[in-house]
Amino acid sequence: MFLALKELKHAKLRFFMIGMILVLISWLVFILSGLGNGLSSLSASSFKKMDAEFVVFEEGSRHSMLRSVISDDMTKDLKALPNVEDAAPMGYRSAVVLKENVTSDDEKIDVSLLGIHPGSFLEPEVIEGHSLEKGKNTEVIVNDSLKNQGIHIGDTLEIEGSTEVITVVGFVKNESFNHLPAILMTMDHWRTIHFAAPGSDMGINNPVNAIMLQGKQINPDEVNQAIEGIETTTKKEAINGIPGYTAENGTIMMMLAFLMAISAVVITVFFYVLTLQKSNQFGIMKAIGASNAFLGRAVVSQVFLLAVVSIGFGILLTYGTAAILPDEMPFALDLKLVFSYAIVLLIVSVLSSLFSVRKITKIDPLQAIGRIE
Amino acid sequence: MQGIQFKNVSKFYEEGDSEFTALNNVSISVNPGEFVAVVGPSGSGKSTFLSIAGALLQPSKGNVMINGTNLKDLKSIELAKLRLEEIGFILQTSNLVPYLHVLDQLLVVKKMKGSITAEDKRYAKELLEEVGLGNKVKKYPDQLSGGERQRTAIARAFINDPNIILADEPTASLDSQRAFEIVELISKGVKSRNKAAIMVTHDERLLTYCDKVYQMLDGNLELMKKQPLTNH
Repeated sequence: MFLALKELKHAKLRFFMIGMILVLISWLVFILSGLGNGLSSLSASSFKKMDAEFVVFEEGSRHSMLRSVISDDMTKDLKALPNVEDAAPMGYRSAVVLKENVTSDDEKIDVSLLGIHPGSFLEPEVIEGHSLEKGKNTEVIVNDSLKNQGIHIGDTLEIEGSTEVITVVGFVKNESFNHLPAILMTMDHWRTIHFAAPGSDMGINNPVNAIMLQGKQINPDEVNQAIEGIETTTKKEAINGIPGYTAENGTIMMMLAFLMAISAVVITVFFYVLTLQKSNQFGIMKAIGASNAFLGRAVVSQVFLLAVVSIGFGILLTYGTAAILPDEMPFALDLKLVFSYAIVLLIVSVLSSLFSVRKITKIDPLQAIGRIE
Repeated sequence: MQGIQFKNVSKFYEEGDSEFTALNNVSISVNPGEFVAVVGPSGSGKSTFLSIAGALLQPSKGNVMINGTNLKDLKSIELAKLRLEEIGFILQTSNLVPYLHVLDQLLVVKKMKGSITAEDKRYAKELLEEVGLGNKVKKYPDQLSGGERQRTAIARAFINDPNIILADEPTASLDSQRAFEIVELISKGVKSRNKAAIMVTHDERLLTYCDKVYQMLDGNLELMKKQPLTNH
């Protein structure tokens, strides 16, 4: 620490420059992680938040709500299975809604319509207004991001391509599906909208898209065997089955991985070149008795200090950026996520410095004695 | 036994198929309080000699004792410890750490051993006062003259209170007057602190400060006739 601090203080410009690179990299890492987090919750928050462990789809639907249609009638059969604590169905369709009596096309809002049974464990808590009620089929609760589009409690919305109208009775938080804000409605009403065309329900009684199961001990294979024509998956697999979810996450993860690799290479090269430059100096210090551990600690602690300060600045800048980003941006900073990426960056940095330490151990103190004959 | 002893020390280097003898059966003993000079043309084996004396290089044959410890028996980490505690190096100029000021140049040696105490700081300042740098303790090497840098190196060599002082061409880049001052300082330090000191040099004017002068020629070390000490 002694040498590390003194050198940092003495060669401010040099370390400022490498620090800047680290600040920029960590800044980008945190912004990307925020973006990734925002996108994935936009894409699947209704799924992620639901209090269920397993999802039952139609057999062959490859874990997609879009491809799966099963009958609500099997919900009671599923409930009766061992280890299943509760079961509740869900239906999904995307739609375009328009405030009643508004003619301008600019006011159209893309939404995801989610059909659920009022009072089931799939119904989220409202933060404003009241919950869904059985029988009151035109009432809906909507994601609070719709407030930005001028939707208030009591507003009546038309659904494009349908004669049905719905009335907003409550707001919920963080409910979106397939990148669109969710409108939750009763299953009956969802069915009248989704299966409006005669025969589109393929003759299935009380059709739904999927049935969510509660129960940590559930064995999906047993469920599949007990009831014909279904496939049961974990919630995680169901989330991955949401269109675009894996692709989006994969892209962002790849960028993050590349950034980590870049920062590792930058730090390795910078400190390695610095070590080469200072090899004579290290040789002299070894000649007067410095151990490898002493010199190695100096380099590692230098990188550690530099990384901690730079990553700290990166975090500050990230929160600064978050404050000025528009609300519509799918950007969600998660303190835990930021913290874990900070730790990963720090570990990557320190590990990169070990390359220089290896070089130091190989420096021969003999080179301090001017000429070797 | 105190001081430094070479007993029939030889060092060979492989050069292709043939063997090159850098040191040939060298024996020498330097006792505490003794200031010995080794002179010789370049290529004579002076540096090899100093490197072995400084525990930087192991001899091919023979034994080297530093303060009663045979270097042969030590591992590299123990050699580093011995260099730190028993040997004070005065190297050629500009061998200071560029980002440390004069006081820290000394304290870093203490830091290599562990932590720096208030007593260490006091001693470092006393040493710097002694070499005439009392008013320059916060200067960096690039703000010092060649002579001042070498004075810092001398003070650094004494900071751990080692038993052996080794000087490698300490006056290489200094004018005569500075060179005399530097060697006088080393001599004073060696005498007043009772150290065993070896200086390798090619500058024969400086030999008046030394108790004994050895000449190195093609790997052989020979005692030259004693020089009269003019200023003692």
